[in-house]
Amino acid sequence: MDHLPQATVVPPKRSRISVIWIIPLLAAVVAIGIAVQRYLAEGPTIVIVFTAAEGIEAGKTPIKYKDVNIGQVTAVRLTNDYAKVEITAKIDKHAAGLMVEDAKFWVVRPQISLSGVSGLSTLLSGNYIGFEPGKSTDSTRIFIGLDVPPVVSGVAGREFILTTGDLGSLSIGSPIYYRRVQVGQVTGYELQPDGKSIQVKIFVHAPYDKYVTTSTRFWNASGIDVSVGADGINVHTESLVAVLVGGLAFDVPPFMAAGEAAPVDQVFALFSDNATAMKAPDPVAKRYVLHFDESVRGLSVGAPVSLLGLTAGEVTSVGLEVDTARGDIRPRVEIVWYPERIVALGNVKGAAKSEVIIQDEQKRREFIRKLVEERGLRAQLRSGSLITGQLYVSLDYHPNSPKVKLDFNKSTPEIPVVPSPLADLEAKVGSIVDKIDRMPLEAIGKDIRKDLENLDETLTSAKKLINRADEQLMPGLKTDIEDLQRTLQAVERAMNNANASLLEPNAAMQEDLRNALNEFTRAARSLRVLTDELERQPSSLIRGKTEPSGGK
Amino acid sequence: MSVATLSAARAGIVSCLTCGLLSRPAAAEPGYCRRCGAKLAWRKHHSVQYTWAFLIAAAICYIPANALPVLGTTALGSTEFDTIIGGVIFLYKTGSWPLALIVLVASIMIPLGKIVALSWLLITVQRGWARNAHDRARLYRLVEFIGKWSMLDVFVDAFTVALVQLSPLMSVEPGLGVVFFMAVVVLTMLAAQSFDPRLIWDSSAERGAHGG
Repeated sequence: MDHLPQATVVPPKRSRISVIWIIPLLAAVVAIGIAVQRYLAEGPTIVIVFTAAEGIEAGKTPIKYKDVNIGQVTAVRLTNDYAKVEITAKIDKHAAGLMVEDAKFWVVRPQISLSGVSGLSTLLSGNYIGFEPGKSTDSTRIFIGLDVPPVVSGVAGREFILTTGDLGSLSIGSPIYYRRVQVGQVTGYELQPDGKSIQVKIFVHAPYDKYVTTSTRFWNASGIDVSVGADGINVHTESLVAVLVGGLAFDVPPFMAAGEAAPVDQVFALFSDNATAMKAPDPVAKRYVLHFDESVRGLSVGAPVSLLGLTAGEVTSVGLEVDTARGDIRPRVEIVWYPERIVALGNVKGAAKSEVIIQDEQKRREFIRKLVEERGLRAQLRSGSLITGQLYVSLDYHPNSPKVKLDFNKSTPEIPVVPSPLADLEAKVGSIVDKIDRMPLEAIGKDIRKDLENLDETLTSAKKLINRADEQLMPGLKTDIEDLQRTLQAVERAMNNANASLLEPNAAMQEDLRNALNEFTRAARSLRVLTDELERQPSSLIRGKTEPSGGK
Repeated sequence: MSVATLSAARAGIVSCLTCGLLSRPAAAEPGYCRRCGAKLAWRKHHSVQYTWAFLIAAAICYIPANALPVLGTTALGSTEFDTIIGGVIFLYKTGSWPLALIVLVASIMIPLGKIVALSWLLITVQRGWARNAHDRARLYRLVEFIGKWSMLDVFVDAFTVALVQLSPLMSVEPGLGVVFFMAVVVLTMLAAQSFDPRLIWDSSAERGAHGG
C-alpha cells in the first residue's frame, strides 16, 4: 500500500481575476460616460473679433441672449496684427443653431446716460457679451463684434433712415416722439462718405411704426422752442428728457394726406424744428437766381423769401458774379422757392389748383412765366428790420417795370429784379441833399446880415429925426396956432365989417364977397385938414402928407 | 537568518493583523484568531490585485476630479465654476499663498502621491525587490497616515455648500468634480488598506509564495 502514490493536494483554483476589478471598470465607465456626455453636449466654438475686450475674461465672461447664457468665453487674445482682439467662445449646443452669418455680438457694459441706465447688472457681475440672432441660415464660426450695442433687439417695429446735415444733440438712444408719446429710439448714426450729411438710423416700435407714412416729416425736438408772438410767449418742448439729451418727433403735416405706411429703411429728411417740418415741403424745391445791382449787405443765407408778404422760400446762397459781357461784378443771390408752401398757405378751394401747379412741372413753369412776364412779378431787396439792417427778398408785382422774358432753359432760371425801395429812397434823399448843398447859403447869409445892419441904422436915424421934429416943431406950431387964432379974430372982425357992407343991396359987392367967402371957406377947410394932420402926425410936416411912417 | 528574512509565515505561524497574536494556523485555512476573533490570513486575500484595482480606479477618477469643477459660486447673477487647480491659482493670485499651498498639497499632491507611492510599492512587491524594504515600509505607513487628510477638500466643499446659501446674492453649489475627488480619496484609502505591508518583507526573503 505504501508504494501507492500519494494523491497530490491541489489547492482549489481561484480565478485569477477578482471581482474587485469591477471597481476600476466602473470608475472608467463613469469617467468615460461623463467625457462622452460632455463631448456630445459641447456646442460649437466660435471666434468673435472685437476692437477692444473691455472687461472680458476667459473662462468667466458669458454670452447671453435674452439674459440666458448661451456660451462662455474661453480665450481672449490679440489678433495676429495686434490691432484687434480675438475672443474664442464655446457656445452651448442648444444655441448652436443661432450662430448664423448675420448674428450680432457686442460687449454689454454699464451705460448711464440721461435717457436711462442700461447694463446695470454688469456693474456687479462684470461685462458680458450680448447676442442677437440673425435671419440668415448660413452657419458660420467667425464673427465681427459690434462696437456699439444695438439699441433694440428682438422687438417688433421698423427701422427708418433720416438724413440731416447736423446731428444736433442726438445720440444713440435718443427718444422719438409721436404726439409726445415715446415710440422709438435712435439706433445709430453714420457720417456719409462725402462728409456732408449724416444718416441717422431710427427704430420705431410696433404698433406705432404704422404712423410713419410716406408723407411723414421728422424734426429735431431737442431743446426748448421759445417763440414770442402776438399772443404772448410760447414755450414748446417735447419732454424733459428730449430737452436734455435731444430727441426726434414726427408727424404728418396737416395739409398732406396721411399716405401709405413707409417701407423699412425709407429715407426721410430731418428738419431742424417743428415749424420747418410742417411748413417746408422740400420735395419740390425750385431754385432761382437773382442778379441785383445794389449792395446785398444784410442779406444772409437763410433769409426769407416772401411772396406777397408770405414766406415762400429762403435764400440759399449770396455771392458775387463776374459778368464778362457787361464787364462788371454784381451780387448773385440764389433763392429756393417751395411751391408747396403756397398750397399750405392757400385756402382749401385753391389747394386743388395749386396742387396741379406743384405736381406738373410744365404747368408750374407756365404759371411762373405768366406771373413774371404779364403780372410783373419782380424780386426786390427789402429791409426786414431797420435796427439790424437785415434784408429779405420780396417777390411782388411791379406792373410798371420793363417787360422781360423768363428763360427756363438755364439750369437756374433768373427772376428779374427791381431796385429796392430803400435804395430808391436813398437816391431821392441824396439828390435833395445835393441841391441843398449847391445853394450859396453863405452869401445869402452875408447879404441878409448886411441888410439888417442897414435897416438898423435907418431906424436909428429915423428915431433921431422924429425926436428932433418933436423938440423943434412943437413950439413953432403953437405960435402958428396962436397966430391963426389972431388971424381968425381979425377975420371975424373983418367979417362983421363985411357983413355990414354986404348987407347992402350992392350985388356986385355981395357977389364978390360971396366968392371971397367961398374962397375963404375953402382955405379954412384946408387949414383945418392941415391942423388935423399935424395933430395926428406932426412928422408929416417933413415927410409929406400921404407917406406911411417908417420902413425901408 | 537575518531579521529581514525571517517572517512568521516562513516559520509556519500566522500573525493576527488586529491584535498581533501569533498562532499556529488551522489545517487548511489559517482560521480565526483565538484572542480577538479576527480572520487570520497568511497574507491578505488578493492583496496585490485588490490594491491595483483600487489604485487604477482612483487614477481614473483623479482625471475628472481635477478636470471638472468642484464648486459653483453664484454671485449676483453670474455663476463661476472652479476646479481644484483653478481655486489654487485664484488663492495664489489673491495673495493667500499659504492657503494655496495647503490646498495644493492636500488636494492635488497627496492623492497623486498616494497613487504613485502605492503603485511603486506594488511594483516592487510584484517584482520581488529586496532592497529598501525599510524605506518602503515607512512609505506605506506615511501613505496610511496621510490618507485621511485628503478628505479636507470634500469637507470644505460640503461646509461651504451648506453654509453659503445667501440666495439671491450668493450661493454655492457642488460641482461634479467633488464626487470624483471623494472617490479618489476613498479609493486610495481602500487601496492602502488592501495592501498587505507584510509583502514588502516577503520579497526580501523569497518571492511572494503566498501572495496573490
